[in-house]
Amino acid sequence: MKIRKFLSAALSVTALGALAAACGSSSSSSSSSTTSSAPSSITIGTAYSGSGAFATSSVPELNGLKLWMSLENAKGGVYVGAYKKRIPLKLIAYNDQSSAQTAGVQYNQLITQNKVNILVADFGSVLTAPAVSIAQAHHQLLFDQSGTGIPFFTPGNPYIVLCNLPESSIWPTPLAQYMISKKITKVAIVYGTNDFDASQAETVQAKLKAAGITPVFYQGIPTSTTSYGTILTSIAATHPQAVLELGYQPNDTAFLQALQSSGLHFPMVFTVFPGQLFSLFQQQVGNAGLQYTYTYATNFFHNYTSVNEGLNSAQFLATLKKQYPSSVNTLGLLGYNTGLVVEAALKNATSLSQLALRNALTKVSGNLNTVDGNFKINSEGAQIGELLPVAQILPSGSTTKIGIVYPSSAANATAVYPAPGA
Amino acid sequence: MLDSKGGGKPLAGLLRRKTLLLDLLAVAIPVIGFSFGLNFYSNELLLVYMMVYVALAHGINISYGFTGYLPFGYFGFFGAGAYGATLAILDLHVPALLGMLFGGVAGVLVGLLLLPLFRLRGAYFAIATLAAGEAVADIVANPSLQSITNGPYGENLASVYSSGQIYVAALVFMALALLAVVLVKNSRFGLSLRAIKESEYSAAMAGVNVVQLRSLAWVIAAAIAGVGGAIFGWATTVFYPSAVFDSAISVFAIVFALFGGTGSVWGPTLGTVLLYGLYSAVGLSSPQYFQLIYGLAIVGLILFAPRGLVGFGRAAVRRLSLRRAGANG
Repeated sequence: MKIRKFLSAALSVTALGALAAACGSSSSSSSSSTTSSAPSSITIGTAYSGSGAFATSSVPELNGLKLWMSLENAKGGVYVGAYKKRIPLKLIAYNDQSSAQTAGVQYNQLITQNKVNILVADFGSVLTAPAVSIAQAHHQLLFDQSGTGIPFFTPGNPYIVLCNLPESSIWPTPLAQYMISKKITKVAIVYGTNDFDASQAETVQAKLKAAGITPVFYQGIPTSTTSYGTILTSIAATHPQAVLELGYQPNDTAFLQALQSSGLHFPMVFTVFPGQLFSLFQQQVGNAGLQYTYTYATNFFHNYTSVNEGLNSAQFLATLKKQYPSSVNTLGLLGYNTGLVVEAALKNATSLSQLALRNALTKVSGNLNTVDGNFKINSEGAQIGELLPVAQILPSGSTTKIGIVYPSSAANATAVYPAPGA
Repeated sequence: MLDSKGGGKPLAGLLRRKTLLLDLLAVAIPVIGFSFGLNFYSNELLLVYMMVYVALAHGINISYGFTGYLPFGYFGFFGAGAYGATLAILDLHVPALLGMLFGGVAGVLVGLLLLPLFRLRGAYFAIATLAAGEAVADIVANPSLQSITNGPYGENLASVYSSGQIYVAALVFMALALLAVVLVKNSRFGLSLRAIKESEYSAAMAGVNVVQLRSLAWVIAAAIAGVGGAIFGWATTVFYPSAVFDSAISVFAIVFALFGGTGSVWGPTLGTVLLYGLYSAVGLSSPQYFQLIYGLAIVGLILFAPRGLVGFGRAAVRRLSLRRAGANG
């Protein structure tokens, strides 16, 4: 009987606690800023990966954003249209160590504790995912830098905008067209079982099948995979004309290293990240291992001389090299361009409210030309103005360079196919 | 189940009542604390995760603290729970709160599936559960199962997101997990588990049904992880398999439980609140020193309090009593 009394007392405490928590949580929603007086600073909050699997991509992105901030602060701050004046920028950046769970807590901290004006997501879909619902629940616009995952963009959510890069499923469209144009019929595809890579694999497969080509090898592997020896042997047994390895940077590096040490040669090899982190791949894989590898050509390799926001390509490269020499790559560009999108939102919004910022971006969509090309979003906030041509890493003296080989309208080099030695 | 027949031995009965009271306080204090947590700190996701980790550390407490089986692959139940609840909510259209129970069921089903692992012991058992957890993750993320689990594309529970309901669910879940530990600790069942931990053979010789009781503890731990995963998934809302089948979840839960001290009701709660609080505070304030500070805290624990905070406290009290007894002659 005594035990029952104890238990009923404990359950009562729990029930009362739940009631108190319900009251507390219902009153804890944050509101968006609509104050009439100008703030002393515009606070930008973001999470980044200072260590872990995504650090090599996340740190340059953060540096690109910092570059934009330093350039604006040098002018006295960013121009805020609602107050018709420049306001200094302040950055709060938390290190999530490549953990989605930690990133989620930090996004929440940025919104509920730091009450940032602008919320910027970390690199990639995995670390952007926890921000999507948190931002939506708190009615805070999420400036998505490179989280191109399909589930993020839904009709009922106006609180997200993809600043750079198209949805990952769109990425390989020119790649599939290139292979079809080269009459490649035996294609091997190995991809990481994550949203980013699997959606690309699915798109390539669908486009090839539509052209009557069925991949001779099509296999998903865990994203944590860094040992490709057995997989390469299995692929070689199918005698493919093209091998596509769709992974994150650590996967691509491991794959190319394994390919080099295996002694195998294929007429065409494609990986995702060399085009984004070229100098890193030159260090990790070496020029010999990179030669004739295909990759995506981002706008980092395009020379934009005429822009209506921020620096042009030449100015941007010179400034980035000076301030962040280790971040001279596509990710550095994406971070900087995120800043330009934030700038456009602040310039054109009628207030600092989050929906006003979102509406401002809808207004400038299609008319904003930056060092990353044309910024254009659909009604769900997904980027549709950017395409990723196919590039090939070509020998250039004792080193290598990236040449855009497809489509012909963007090409600045001629593809070498099949690769020598295949 | 509880043995309250202490009337014949007043001292033993008194001690038992005192222990039970202390244990129930270990339930009431965290519940009351977290109930009002949002009034002091509005990062509700951090508090929700902390409550989930308190429960998970107690799941480890039941499996390892009482039975001696350390499941490195605990995240397998956690991830299964996240997916079980999500599928119930999205495909069976059950209310989100009810969906959390489906998470528990999914955890239990995976737990039952992995029962043959008890043929192994010690490090072999721990590593085998790790492999099993990874296997469950790979099955869920397999693109061939896209029609069921959405494969690598993750899940989106935005349509049922409710920060208030999630907070209350986490609070009730934590309270129930704590109560479960109190019940286990103060019952004949808990006594049998501790006997199994000391020596399976001696326990069996004394009439303990080792297989049955060990499996029951395992299933309870799996259910806790399953519901924990379900609440975690609901709170995270948009998640990929890698987020819920993350081995770091097991590592955290194990470290929190060991830091506080296993085999008690206070230990894992203290360990979680202190270490997860430190983890979050350092991560937010001084990320550049994060690994250093966190590493030093764990090294300090191993060197100075290998039996956790509760064990350290007990030893200190014992030393004080002995010193006092010595001083009194």
